[in-house]
Order: sequence, then structure tokens, then C-alpha cells
Amino acid sequence: MATVTLEKVVKRYGPIDVVHGIDLEIGHGEFVVLVGPSGCGKSTTLRMIAGLEEISGGAVKIGENIVNDLPPRDRNVSMVFQNYALYPHMTVAENLGFSLKIAKRSKDDIEKRVAEAAAILGLGDLMERLPGQLSGGQRQRVAMGRAIVRHPDVFLFDEPLSNLDAKLRTQMRTEIKKLHQKVKTTVIYVTHDQIEAMTLADRIVIMRGGHIVQVGTPMDIFHNPANLFVAQFIGSPPMNLAEGIVGSNGKLTLANGDVLTLAPDMAARVPEGTAVTLGVRAEDLAIDGHGRIGSHISTIKAAVNLTEPLGNESLVFFEYGGSEWVTRMFNPRDIAPGETITLHVNMESIHLFDKTTEKRL
Amino acid sequence: MMVSHGTRKIYLKWCRWIGTFLAMSAICIPGLWIVLSSFRPNVEILAKPAVWIPQDLNFDHYAAIFSSDPGQGAVPVWSYFQNSLIIATTSTLIALLIGMAGGYAFARYSFKGKDTMFLGFMLSRTVPGIALSLPLFMVYARLGIIDTDFGMILIYVALNLPFTIWLIDGFFRQVPQELNQAAQIDGCTPWQAFWLVEFPLAKSGIASAGIFAFLTSWNEFALASQLTRSTASKTLPVGLLDFTSEFTINWGGMCALAVIMIVPALLLTFIVQKHLVAGLTFGGVKG
Amino acid sequence: MKRKFLSPPVLLLLPAMIIIAAVVLVPLLLSLYTSFTPFKLTRPDTLYRWIGVRNYMRLFEDYYFWAAFLRTFVVLTIALNVEMLLGLGLAVLVNKAVSGQRALRTIMMFPMMFSPILVGFQFKFMFNDTVGLVNNALQSMGMERVIPWLVDEHLALFSILTAEIWSSTSVFAILILAGLMAIPRDPLEAARVDGCTPWQTFRHITLPYLMPFMFIAMTIRSLDIARAYDIVQIMTAGGPARRTELLWTMISRSGYVDANMGLANAMAYISILLSIFFTFYFFRKLMAARRYMGGAQ
Repeated sequence: MATVTLEKVVKRYGPIDVVHGIDLEIGHGEFVVLVGPSGCGKSTTLRMIAGLEEISGGAVKIGENIVNDLPPRDRNVSMVFQNYALYPHMTVAENLGFSLKIAKRSKDDIEKRVAEAAAILGLGDLMERLPGQLSGGQRQRVAMGRAIVRHPDVFLFDEPLSNLDAKLRTQMRTEIKKLHQKVKTTVIYVTHDQIEAMTLADRIVIMRGGHIVQVGTPMDIFHNPANLFVAQFIGSPPMNLAEGIVGSNGKLTLANGDVLTLAPDMAARVPEGTAVTLGVRAEDLAIDGHGRIGSHISTIKAAVNLTEPLGNESLVFFEYGGSEWVTRMFNPRDIAPGETITLHVNMESIHLFDKTTEKRL
Repeated sequence: MMVSHGTRKIYLKWCRWIGTFLAMSAICIPGLWIVLSSFRPNVEILAKPAVWIPQDLNFDHYAAIFSSDPGQGAVPVWSYFQNSLIIATTSTLIALLIGMAGGYAFARYSFKGKDTMFLGFMLSRTVPGIALSLPLFMVYARLGIIDTDFGMILIYVALNLPFTIWLIDGFFRQVPQELNQAAQIDGCTPWQAFWLVEFPLAKSGIASAGIFAFLTSWNEFALASQLTRSTASKTLPVGLLDFTSEFTINWGGMCALAVIMIVPALLLTFIVQKHLVAGLTFGGVKG
Repeated sequence: MKRKFLSPPVLLLLPAMIIIAAVVLVPLLLSLYTSFTPFKLTRPDTLYRWIGVRNYMRLFEDYYFWAAFLRTFVVLTIALNVEMLLGLGLAVLVNKAVSGQRALRTIMMFPMMFSPILVGFQFKFMFNDTVGLVNNALQSMGMERVIPWLVDEHLALFSILTAEIWSSTSVFAILILAGLMAIPRDPLEAARVDGCTPWQTFRHITLPYLMPFMFIAMTIRSLDIARAYDIVQIMTAGGPARRTELLWTMISRSGYVDANMGLANAMAYISILLSIFFTFYFFRKLMAARRYMGGAQ
């Protein structure tokens, strides 16, 4: 177990910077998820920690040591790759034991640790198979097993679940979380899937364009997104948006002419005349007669486009303020497309973003 | 024209069957005829009118070409065979080693002028053997390595490298780069990662590249015919011409020697046929 | 201390570069120089006499050279086209075969293992006018006269072409078959659903898909196109009376028989350019076909 520290880490390909001097501290046994859209530099960052990419500037520390110039084998990290990267010519047992064999451990020691890893991941029956004979989920488990036999200081995961189907992905997500609770090693996990990030992380690091945009616990990021980008990226279904201007005495006038009343503390915070983007999560809207939310409520009307019944609730899509909004309807009833509905907005949990800087106000 | 669908299908099937049969016959008959002739006495080969059903099959031609008695028109086949084997094997091994390094470089690294260099290698292979033999003859004569195994080995290494590199490049590309990285994270040096992970996965392909190189050396004639002179380095293809003199040709002996040449080639090719096609198409199509 | 004079790929490629430079590049420079001298093997001092482009001028005025050059070009063009068509046909036949496909494929590879010199010998034997299989067979079927397969100019070229085509069709067949077997089923089925006849499907789906494979075969073939030398050398040695002379047999004759190295080298250079032309042409086609197929593979 170890801490991992990034200090002003830069990655440059020729004249192009893909990671722009990021700082990050990861504590003992922490599960940190780097998340962001593709091309944001998250994988590159992970590979710099692993030693697979040269570090163009700044320092990466594992524990107290700067590892910039250490080859991957001397960093005592282990990694689970997107395509698992199992050695196709070795059995599961050989795959698991490979790193120990390279480290010239004794045969007994190797057997013991391989058996231990196999037990943790339930690989017992598969030990003599070749990777080609395994299912996707089994390969995933072997890849994780290979990572844990070494008792590394840090686990690195590079989009490990993206090749699995939806159901298996949920299941493996749980297993990864359980695994972490069992072995308590520091984990750095890269994904583009915000649900994975939310469910797995102790702390989420959101990246965009080679910069860190926000670091925080899942709940913190969900409730207090630093800017419009984070707000849209985290949460499902995505946040509903509309343009508006803050007027006098805490009124928010939207582009479509509707006027909402801001909660007092927010009205106090945001100066009059600010052009803003309003963000409302689906959970902070309630269709009239289907649940109540909060004490500060504004009411809007809109025409329904479409409903998606999910059983105990329905997603209701409607046109509002020039874009399509969505809300959840509990105890759903049939709504015909085109029907006008009345919605209550929980004004205490809405977000306002500065229209030009996109920062949350 | 009221041919029913079913009839037409059967008709087509027969056409295909006959076509396949004819094509396969055209491929097989010349070779089989040589094999058959190598076991027939000269009287039968030369008989007029032709004798179609072999009356007498024996190993006389084989015995004759391996006999040491020059009176029988014997050709030093044994030393030709040895020369061929030594030259082809050595040049193949060297070409494989160097080709592995080169193929790996092409498969794993991107560098400036990569495509140009690849094309350059390929173009070096297109130089006709006979055209290349002229300056090599002059150089070798000056260096005194005409009619030596070493001289031929050197040529065949150069001749085989472009194609070996092409094939091996393709086979290494089929090995995902992540495996190398996984191995390095598992504690391997780059050298260990290559030999323990990437090489084992590419080795059957590399073996087939080797056999391809072996066959090229084994079969080459244009250069060998000019740069070898005596039993010191003459190879089997050049030796074949020993049977032709100004006015007569020892058909039976030539057929026997032909069989001796073709058998190793046959065996080796069957071993690798699968990988060979895979390698050629992969390297070519995926680029 | 780690000092990097050379990057890893250059280091890895260095041995290959050195050997190819030593055995191909440097000798070619030498032969280029020699082609500007009247060098004769019998008179070493002639190596140092510069005569400019006189060798080339002599060639351009030489009827035999032009005849050989043209013959070479025509023979190659006919051979490559026929090989490709036959190879395509053979591949389609084998691909359609329901049973025994493996055996058929193995047989198909047969000629690839024959050294060109063996192919030449084999067909010299078969086309021999007195003991050859072909004449024997024709005579057994009642033909009276003896056909001089390797003596008559046109028949000799035909025989040589037969040998050449026999030896190289399988390269095309095998690679095209590999292409046929790799075609995804979806587009073929989509074409059927869209109402294409089998011929239309072949023409518009299968054939474009096969193009890269055909060009690989062409490129591979054009790499050692000069193998035809071996075949001609043993079958007719350019004879009778130089009527089957190809560029390469002519080089060998004037270089080694007449010891006229300077002239032979000039010819060799022209033959090299011809080879490079063929290879380069197909290589470009291959690249284009690959781009055309895009990420489809």
C-alpha cells in the first residue's frame, strides 16, 4: 500500500500537450476514479503512473519515491487492461503466477499466492484453462487475479469493464468494490462511465482536455458540481438546462419568459443581472400530483413529447425553454404525447451556472 | 429455355466438379510424370511409340547419381545436396535473426521514413538475380569469395531479408502491444517481455517465414549459377544442369535429382501452409 | 549513464540495412558505374575507361535488344493477367467445393514449392519433341507429325508461358482464396436480400473485397518476376536463334558468355528499372485498394 502523488505532471507528444500539469494526491488504500470523456488524458495519466508512458514534465511519486525514471517493473504497481491482456499461451494458473516467476519467488510461495488469489476471485475450477477458453467475465477475473497476486502498492485499472455486456458490467463492478474492501490496496481506476465512477469511487477526479476539473467524493460532486461540464457529465439522466437572467428580488427570468423564484440564500449569492444557465436534475422536478419536493417550489407548464415506462416509475420527456427536459414520474399514469403537464421545481436544489465562465454560482 | 431451377443447379454442380478436376490434374500431372519417370529405365522413357503403362520400375537413376563412378555419368549430387543444405539453413537462420529485429521494429515502433524504408527493402528484392549477379561477380572475384559457401550465404541473407521482415512484421502485429506492457508491469525487462510473451506468440509465424526463406535459398538459380563453380559450393539447382551436355540429356537422372530437390520443399511447405497465407495477407492488407 | 546515439527501431533495423546495402546497394552502384565503361572480364584495365552512355546508345540501336525488351514486357503482361484470371477461377472453384477443401488447397500449393529451374526442366521434358509427354500423348491419339514445341518461335514462347503460368497461378489462387474465405457474410446476405443475382453479388461485393488480396498477390509476384529467367534459361536458353530471348537471358549471355560486362550491366540496369516499375505499380495499387477498403477489415 502506498500513496500516489502527482506534481505538475505534463505529457507532451511533440508540440502538443495532452496532459497539462496536473496535481493530485491519493491516500493509502483510497479508491480513486479518473473519469472524463475520451481524449481527456485520463488513460495517459494512468499509463504515466504505470510507467508505460514517459513523463514529459513534473513528478510522479509512489510512497515517498519519485518514480519518473523507473521502468514499470520497478514500480510495484499492477494493472488491469481494457482488453485484459492475458497471455494467450499460458494457462490461468501460469498467467496468475507469471509475475512471481519473473521475480524468482519459490515454487511454494507462488503456489500459495496463486491459490489465495484464485480463492478470492473464485477461479478454482479454471486454473488449467487457456484464456481463449474463458468467457469475458472469467477473463476479467483472471486479469484482476493477476493483479492481486503480486501484492502491489497500487492497482491500476484502465477501463476494465468496457468490453463486458451491461449485466456483467454491473456484476463485475460489485466484485471490484468487494475486492477493494478485502485487499484495501490503493486503486486508481480509469473509466468514461460516470455510473462506474459514482458507484466505485472514494473520490472522483473529473478530467477534461488534459486538466483536472474537479476532485471530490461522489456525493459532493453530484450535489456541488464545480461547473456546467461536471453537472452535465455526472448523473443520469443528464441535468436539464435552460438559459435565463437573474432579476431583482430573487426572480429568475428564463428565455421563454417563465419566471422562477430563487431560494433566498441563492438569491443573496447571485448578483442581479447575471446571465445564467439553469440546471435542474430530473429528481428535482415533480409532476403535479405525483410526489412532492422541497418547500421552495416554482411551477412550470410544458407539453409532453414522450414517456418511457420503467415499471415503478416513468421517464417523461418534454420540451422546455428550447431544449428537451426529462423528469421521473412515480406511480406513473398514462400521459399522451402533447398533453400539457404542470411541474414543480425544487428551487433549493437547482444549480445556476455563469453563462460565460460556466462556473457554478 | 424452360430449365427448372433444380436441374440448373445440378448442371452447375457438375460443371464445377469437372472444372476442379481438370485444374487439379493440370497442377498434378507434370510433377507426377517426373516422379514416375525417375523410376523408369531410359529405354522406357525414350521408347517409340510411347510406353504408357510402366513395365519396370526401379531405383537405378537414384543409384546412378549417387554412385561415385564418374564413368556412369555420375554427378556429385551428394556434395551438391550438402552445399544446398548448409547454404540454405545458415542463410535462413541468419535472415530470421536479423529479420526478427527488423520486423519487430516495423511492427512496434513508428519512426520517420518508416514507409520509405519498407518500400526500399522491398525494391531491393525486385532486382533481378541475373542483374545483381554481374556486379557481385566482380566484387566476389576481387574478394576471392566466388565459389564459397560464405559468399552464397551472404547473398541469400540479403535476398531473404525483405520478405522475412514483411512476414514477421505481420506476425508481430497480430500480438497485441498490451501483452508486452502487461509483462513489463508484471516485472519483466523489455528483453524478457519479448522472449517470454511476444516471441512465443509469434513463433509459429516466424517459423513459417523461416521455411519460406529456406525454400527461396534452396530453389535459387540465377545467382548460384554464376557465383558457384565447383563442388565446393554448387547447389542442387545448378547441379541439375550437369545432366545436360551439348547433345544429350540424361532425362532419367534429371528426374531423380528433381525428386530429391522437391521432397524437402514439399515437406516444409505442408508444415507451414496455414501460417504462410495468414502472414502474407495480414501483413499486406492491414498494413 | 544512458546515451542514446540511435533510437531503438534504427538499432533494430541496422543489421538488415547493412547487409542489404552491402549485397545489393553497393554492387548496384558498381554496376551503374560499370555500365559507363567498356569493361570486359578478359581485359581488367578496361574497367577504368569512361565511355559515357555509349553502351546505352548501342543498346538502343540494337534490334535484338529491343526485340528482347518488348518480348519480356509482353510475356510478363500476358503471364500476370492469365495467372490472375486463372487464380481467381481456381480460388472460386475451391471455395465452392463442399468436401475435401483442405486437400484441394494443399494440392493448389503444389507448384509454389517447385523451384523455377525445376519448372523449366519439367516442361522442357514434357514439351520435348521426341520423348515429351505432350507429343507422346498426341501421337497416341493418332497424330502423325512431330510438333517442335521448343524449336518453333511461337510454340516455344507458348511453352515458356505455359511453364511460367503453371508455376505462379497458385500464388494468386491461394491469396485470393484467403480473401474469399475472409469475406464477412453480412454484405453478401444483404446483397441477396436486396435482390442481386449471384453474378451481381460477385461483381459488386465479392470482387471489390478481393482487390487488396489480388494486389498483394501481384506485388509478391512482381517481386521475383525475374524468376522467368530460370525457366527460359533451362528450356530454350533464349534460343533457337535468340527468338525466345528475354532481357535476362540476354544479360547473362553478353555478361558471362561474351564477357562483355559493361554492356551487360547497362542492360541489367534497364531490367532493374523494369522490375521496379512493375513492383511500384502494384504496390501503389495495393495501397490504394487498402485505403479504399478502409477500416472494413
